[in-house]
Amino acid sequence: MASEAKLSHTAAMILQAIHAGCIYGFGIMEMTGLPSGTVYPAMRRLERDALIRSQWERQSIADAEQRPPRKYYRLTAAGRATLESSRKRYPLLERLIPSEEAKPV
Amino acid sequence: MKPRLGSVFPALHLGLLRAAALLVPPSQCVEWQREWRSELWHVRRERAPQGIVSWRAEREVTLFCLGAFHDALCLRRHALLRLRLPGATPASPAYCIFWLALALVASFALSLLLPGVRAANESVRAQTDPGLILIEHAVTGGNSLATVSAAEFRNWRSRRQRYFDRFAFYSIARENIMPAEGGSPWTVAHATANLFSVLDIPLRFSAPVAGVHGNPTGAVLSCEAFEREFDSNPRIAGSMVQVGRHLAQIVGVAPCGAWPLPGKVDLWLLEPEAAVAPGAMGYVVAHLTALGRAEMFGPTVAITVYGAGDSAIDLFGVELEGRTRVPMDVFRFALLLAFLCLPAVTSVSMGEYNFNSHKPSWPRRLCRWSFLCAKIALLLPIVYYVPLDLAWWHISTSSYASEYVQWIASFLLCLFGMRWVLLDQRQRCPVCLRRVTHPAQVGHASRMFLSWNGTELICMGGHTLLHVPGLPTSWFSAQRWLYLDSSWDFLFAGSSQSGRT
Repeated sequence: MASEAKLSHTAAMILQAIHAGCIYGFGIMEMTGLPSGTVYPAMRRLERDALIRSQWERQSIADAEQRPPRKYYRLTAAGRATLESSRKRYPLLERLIPSEEAKPV
Repeated sequence: MKPRLGSVFPALHLGLLRAAALLVPPSQCVEWQREWRSELWHVRRERAPQGIVSWRAEREVTLFCLGAFHDALCLRRHALLRLRLPGATPASPAYCIFWLALALVASFALSLLLPGVRAANESVRAQTDPGLILIEHAVTGGNSLATVSAAEFRNWRSRRQRYFDRFAFYSIARENIMPAEGGSPWTVAHATANLFSVLDIPLRFSAPVAGVHGNPTGAVLSCEAFEREFDSNPRIAGSMVQVGRHLAQIVGVAPCGAWPLPGKVDLWLLEPEAAVAPGAMGYVVAHLTALGRAEMFGPTVAITVYGAGDSAIDLFGVELEGRTRVPMDVFRFALLLAFLCLPAVTSVSMGEYNFNSHKPSWPRRLCRWSFLCAKIALLLPIVYYVPLDLAWWHISTSSYASEYVQWIASFLLCLFGMRWVLLDQRQRCPVCLRRVTHPAQVGHASRMFLSWNGTELICMGGHTLLHVPGLPTSWFSAQRWLYLDSSWDFLFAGSSQSGRT
C-alpha cells in the first residue's frame, strides 16, 4: 500500500539522500540543497507515514567524540519500496543523488 | 575583536533556537530543541571551524537557525489543522455553517451584554395600552411640541367627558437636582400624580410616598439617571432628592425604554394637579372609553373641545401604540423590503442543472435544500441581532436615531446576506455541497458564436464542473453543471470520493 503512495519531489529527494547514506538532517540539507525549514518538517512527515524511522545515537558514542548526540534516520521497508516507485516517477533522482552502489568507482 | 565575535555568534544562534522553540507546541519542544542544537554543533563545525570567524560562514549558520522558525511555524500549522472540524475545509458546508453559527452566537451574546439592547428588549415587554392617545393642538399636530397649558387641561378635566375616562398632564423643565453629581441641570417632567397609572407603566423598586418632611411629592427616576447617578442601587426607593427648591421622595424607577411620550426625561415629579403652574405648557395623555375607541379611524383623531366662553378649540389625538415601534417591527419591515429588493441585486434561481444522464439522488437534493434552509435560518437571527447591537450599543442613543440605524442595518444586512446565501448556494456542488474552486477562463468573448466563453470551476471532490457563461446568450443563458464520471478520477487521487453517486 505504501509503495503506491505518491511522494512530492522534495520528499523523494530526502528519501533518496537517506538511501545514499546521508542519515543526519544537516547531511541531507547538504546533499539536497534544501533549506533547514523544509528538510526537518518533511522528515517528520515521512516518519509519520512510516517511510523512515529516527533514533538518537547513544550518549557514550557522542561523549567519546566530545560532541552532542545526533539523531539519525533510516529508511523502513515501506520507505525503500516507495523510493523505488518514486525513482520511476522522477528518473533524474538517482543522477542528482547517486546512491552508494551506483557511485562510479 | 575576533575572539569576542567568536563568542557572540554562538550565543546569538542559541538564542534564535530558543526563540524558535517557544513557537513549537509544548509537547514537542524538548525533542525539537535537542535536535536543532545537536545539528547546530555540526553545522558550526562544518561551516565555521573553531578560531576562524568568517561572515559568510556565520551567515550560513544563522540561516540554518532561521530555518528553525520555519520548522516551528510548520508544526503550529499542523497542530491547528488537527484542531479543525473533522472534514472541514474552507469550501466545505460544515465550515460555512460553523462560521454562521459563530456569528450568531457572538451577536446574541453581545445583545445580552449591551445595556442599550437590554433596554430595548424591556420596552418590548412594556405593552402600550391601545386606548391611550397623546393630545396636541391641531395647528402643530404631529410635531410633538408642548402646546397645551395646564390651565386648559384643568378646564377640560373639570367637564363631563364621554370619550375619555382618564387624563394626565406633564410639562418639561430643566432643573438642578441634589445630590446629583456634576451639577448640570436635569430634564424634569412636572406631571400629575396619575401619569404612570394612566400610561399603565409599572415602576421598578416602587415604594409608597412616606410623607416625610411634610412633602407628599413623589419622584420617578429614568432608567438612564438611575444607572448613571445612583449606580443602579436597588435600595434607591424612599431616598430624598432636592428638585429646585422642593424636596421629593423617589418612589421608583421607570423601566428602560418604556417611556412612549415626547421628551427625554431624567426625572418625573409626580405633583398634585393644583401644584402644576397654570401657565406651564405641556402634553396631555388621555385614555379613551369604549365609545371613544369606536370613534377612532386609524391612528389619529380630530377632537373639538370648548374652552372658557364656549369657544371651540381644535385638537389632534395620536394613538400612542402607533408612535412606538418595537425592534421586531423594524426588523420585519426591513426584511420585507429586502426580500422585495433581492431580485434587483441577484438572480433568485438556483441555477440550471444539466447533468447529462446523471441526476443527484433524492436524499442528496434534500440535503442541498436543507443546507440552504439552514443558512437562511442562521442568517435571519444574525440580521436581527447585529443591527440591534449597532443601533442600541449605547443607552443614551435616542430611540428615533436607533430605529433608523436598526432599519438601515437590517435592510442592508438582509439584502446582501441573502445575496451571499444564493450566490454561495449556486456555487455548491450538488453532490457533495463543497464550493467549486479554481476558476478558469475559457474561450474568448470575440468568438462567442463559435464556442462558449465564460468561467469554469471545479469541485475538488471530483464530482462536477460548473460552467458560468461570460455573456448570457439564448443558447447558454444560465450556469450549467457537468457531472464528471470515473474517467476523471486520476485527477483527484488524493481527494475524497465518498459523495459520488
